[in-house]
Amino acid sequence: MSARAEAYATALFEVAAAEGKLATVEAELYRVASAIESDASLRSVLGDSGVELARRLKIVEKLLGDRAHNVTTQLLSLVVGTGRLRDLPGIVQRLVKRASDESGLVVAEIRSAVPLTPAQQETLVAALQRRAGRPLNVKTVVDRSLLGGVVATVGDEVIDDSVRTRLDQVKGLI
Amino acid sequence: MNATQVLLAVVVAVEDPSQTHHWLLPETAEIIYGGLASLIIFGLLWRFAGPAARKGLSGRTARIQAELDAAAAARREADAEAARIRTALGNVGAERDRLLAEADRQCAEILAEGRRRADAEAAEAEARATAEAAAIRGRAGDELRAEIARLASAAAERIVLDTLDARRQAALIDDFADSVRRTAGAVS
Repeated sequence: MSARAEAYATALFEVAAAEGKLATVEAELYRVASAIESDASLRSVLGDSGVELARRLKIVEKLLGDRAHNVTTQLLSLVVGTGRLRDLPGIVQRLVKRASDESGLVVAEIRSAVPLTPAQQETLVAALQRRAGRPLNVKTVVDRSLLGGVVATVGDEVIDDSVRTRLDQVKGLI
Repeated sequence: MNATQVLLAVVVAVEDPSQTHHWLLPETAEIIYGGLASLIIFGLLWRFAGPAARKGLSGRTARIQAELDAAAAARREADAEAARIRTALGNVGAERDRLLAEADRQCAEILAEGRRRADAEAAEAEARATAEAAAIRGRAGDELRAEIARLASAAAERIVLDTLDARRQAALIDDFADSVRRTAGAVS
């Protein structure tokens, strides 16, 4: 799977770079992949080979519409059309990593239970950037299952201060 | 009148011509011829029929003797058979006694073995039941603890969710940022 995801990520990277929209496409694909990952029904329909391909591609177009760049829509349609939707998170993760490496950035994912305000995001990015000692390519994800708090992943480091994890620790103690 | 007197009367009559022919005695010559003929016949009989008669008598004697011998042999055989039967009967009795004793012994062994096995099975069943009861107690305890933990964690989650309003959510994010800043200072 990882070799295939790597191949797809390389292809997407080359196309986006050739179009000169690498940052835009990478950011949009990340948001779309997060949205699909958190929506089981959408994931089920787009990944179901029993559903006609034309219909699935129509859903992709309707989902992105004018909100995403044309290249992003085409690349997502490619992944859906080849039946690799299940690999989409891995593909996008590799694409983001490659794009970040290209720009000399470190990928940082900030996962929170509620949407961050711009001020909160700025504060967090500054703190994480100071800790990493390098500029970051920040991706924010809203994950209600965390209940509260934040989980930040900077490179290979995970800083978990979510309510979910604390509750799990309490449960383990009980 | 015996034979001597008859012979004497015959001689007297022959010697005495005065004597007339006796009413009972035949003529002398007839007596002589008759006597001679009788002797010849007796002699011939003795000569020719005697051996056959003697042979017949000795054959009959031998046959009777053979029959007597066969009867004696049959009797001896019957006696031997009777002795064998008596012995066999004695053996049958002994064999019956031996079989009965063997049956009694085997019966006693089977009963003893059955008792041993029943005791062992009873002990095993008791041990199994004891172990199972202990396991059930343990499982029940574990399940109870797990249920308590589940309820406690559910209650804790519910309480936390009820207290997590927007202000507390923001406070958690700010705390996280402060924590990262502090550790950033320590790391750098």
